[in-house]
Amino acid sequence: MKNYLKLVNFELNRITKLFAVLLGITFVTQIVGVIVVSRDYLNMANEKLYEEMMSKAVFLESFGQMSFLQIVKSVWFVGPIALCIAGVAFYIFIIWYRDWVGKNTFIYRLLMLPTTRLNIFYAKITNILIMTFGLVAFQLIILPIEMLVMKGMVPNEFRTDMSVKEIVNSMPELTIIIPNSVIELILYYGAGLLVVSILFTAILMERSFRWKGIFAGLIYSALAVVVLISPLLLQEFVLNGFFYPIELLVLEIVMGLIVLAASIWMSGFLLMKKITV
Amino acid sequence: MKKYWKFAAIIIVIVLSIGTFYVNSATSAKQYPEFVIQTHSGDADEIKPLVLEGSYTDTTSMNYVSTNLKITADGSTYNSRSFLDQVIGQPPTVVKELQEEYRTFMRGKDHLVDLFFENNQVLAYADVNYKMGSLRSRDFKFDISVLNKEDGNINSFTMEVPDGGELEYVFVEDVQMVKDELTLITQNTMRNNDEFYDEKHIYTINMANQKISNHKAINQVPEGQDDTRIDVQLIRTSPTKANEHLIIVKTEKKVIEDSESIREEVINQEIISYNLETKEKEKINVPELRLDENQLSFFDGSTIYFMTLEGQELVVTPYSLVDDQVGQAFSIHLFGEEDIVHGQLTIVKDGKLYLASSQMNSNINADVIVADVKTGEILFKGQLALEDSSNEHGNFELYMHEMFVN
Repeated sequence: MKNYLKLVNFELNRITKLFAVLLGITFVTQIVGVIVVSRDYLNMANEKLYEEMMSKAVFLESFGQMSFLQIVKSVWFVGPIALCIAGVAFYIFIIWYRDWVGKNTFIYRLLMLPTTRLNIFYAKITNILIMTFGLVAFQLIILPIEMLVMKGMVPNEFRTDMSVKEIVNSMPELTIIIPNSVIELILYYGAGLLVVSILFTAILMERSFRWKGIFAGLIYSALAVVVLISPLLLQEFVLNGFFYPIELLVLEIVMGLIVLAASIWMSGFLLMKKITV
Repeated sequence: MKKYWKFAAIIIVIVLSIGTFYVNSATSAKQYPEFVIQTHSGDADEIKPLVLEGSYTDTTSMNYVSTNLKITADGSTYNSRSFLDQVIGQPPTVVKELQEEYRTFMRGKDHLVDLFFENNQVLAYADVNYKMGSLRSRDFKFDISVLNKEDGNINSFTMEVPDGGELEYVFVEDVQMVKDELTLITQNTMRNNDEFYDEKHIYTINMANQKISNHKAINQVPEGQDDTRIDVQLIRTSPTKANEHLIIVKTEKKVIEDSESIREEVINQEIISYNLETKEKEKINVPELRLDENQLSFFDGSTIYFMTLEGQELVVTPYSLVDDQVGQAFSIHLFGEEDIVHGQLTIVKDGKLYLASSQMNSNINADVIVADVKTGEILFKGQLALEDSSNEHGNFELYMHEMFVN
């Protein structure tokens, strides 16, 4: 346990710079977005009210009040989130391959540590998870700040205030990152963890057998996907909707756990017996 | 411990931030306004068995997420939108009750109330399945299951739909079972040389030998009359209830094309009663009755209640199938605004007519009326209303799409 924590901490220290950069970009871009979108709305309101002599009531009737949703739907808000997702996706590969590059390959030292080698796998996957949750948590913290900025810029009668939850609920894309309930949070991020574990296994296969390993990795991933969706395929094509939806959910969770266990076992085996430096 | 501070800080921030979000969203669940049925006159006990199902949309924030709700005499209950409830799904109340009672039989069955038939002995289900081909749909098959309630036996089989080659789409409108014969009433979309047309068909399937014993089309347009269109409607009944008769309204329309417009003129309307057991057709004659497309009419098994809207009056003409006689017509005054009286839900049960408007918002009021179908006497008259109208609720839309009487 202590070795595992040491490794997690060690890995975490290696990504803090990248992590801080992502957080910084997100914060700056989104705040700029809030200011730009609010100002656009205010400019439009000014133009209509003072140049076209529209009354306030007519303006609100035809253009509506400004809500934070307009900001959330702009590229200023979604862009940095997409960047962070891409960053994490990229880092899933970098977290392994960076250990193999350079003069004195770092993985050599990692593998020589007096602890079970599976801890390396656990530490790396924990890091991906912490990084992801960190980004989500940061977004949840800066959302209220951004709303304050908008409140400061747009006068009361021109805006509708929404809570963080209402905003998240109105954007289907956001509910994937910030699900509605804790159950969904566990299911969504559990599925994410599963995908990462499959990718890690594929990466380790490549590191063990090089070119042949790429094929093995692809086959393993395809197999994992087939096992995962097998209940859905059966339901659709063989059993004609035999299972009730809740039974299907339980079956899918069981399948997910089976694939996760298989990935961990396979990765452990590769790290212990087959890995080459 | 000092070298772990970054790690510890990140974990604490994550737990606090995400934790706060979910604790907050659990405690500050969105408050929906409470709807009640306000009594204007009559006996409030009359609406005790009434259940209205609909959806509520808050239109203030341009965010059109609607929530399903039920309104009864006791007030309104909103469907929970929790994840598990969404996974389980929210089938119509009738289907939900059947699922609870006959869990095995209901596996793999569609959630459409019209596909089911229930009486004391059997629960029957019939649907038409097909495969989507690259050019057209094919392999039309009846999917039939009948549960014998006494011994729990399930008799299920599939069989080919006759003349499947011409079919494009089949929609099952009603399922009935008389003795050992299952009857399906379907709306078939057929294709003939790139021309599409609709037909209503009645298929009778003998359960003992699993063969089609009778099959007929109700509205075939006579050849060579391209300007004529025939609409066929079934008079509504309680969805799963057994009926010995089907009441069919056949409206013949002539399409008139002149230089300015294309319009349709009704040239003939026939009301036919089809006896499911003897397969005999009988014409029903109600003088001066012209049914519109509102489909308000209702058949309770022995009496047909023809309903039409004339301005703000709902005119009800009963016709008894037992002695083949037109009863005394009466009319009910709706208090909805002049031009928005359309969109009503009607049901006749146990000698009472239940009527509810299907739309309500801050400007439009929705009626709820209960009347005695024998005398036309109004037993209850009321309106849907917000429980505390003093509160600012902003703009909203309420659509009622289903009405049940328990």
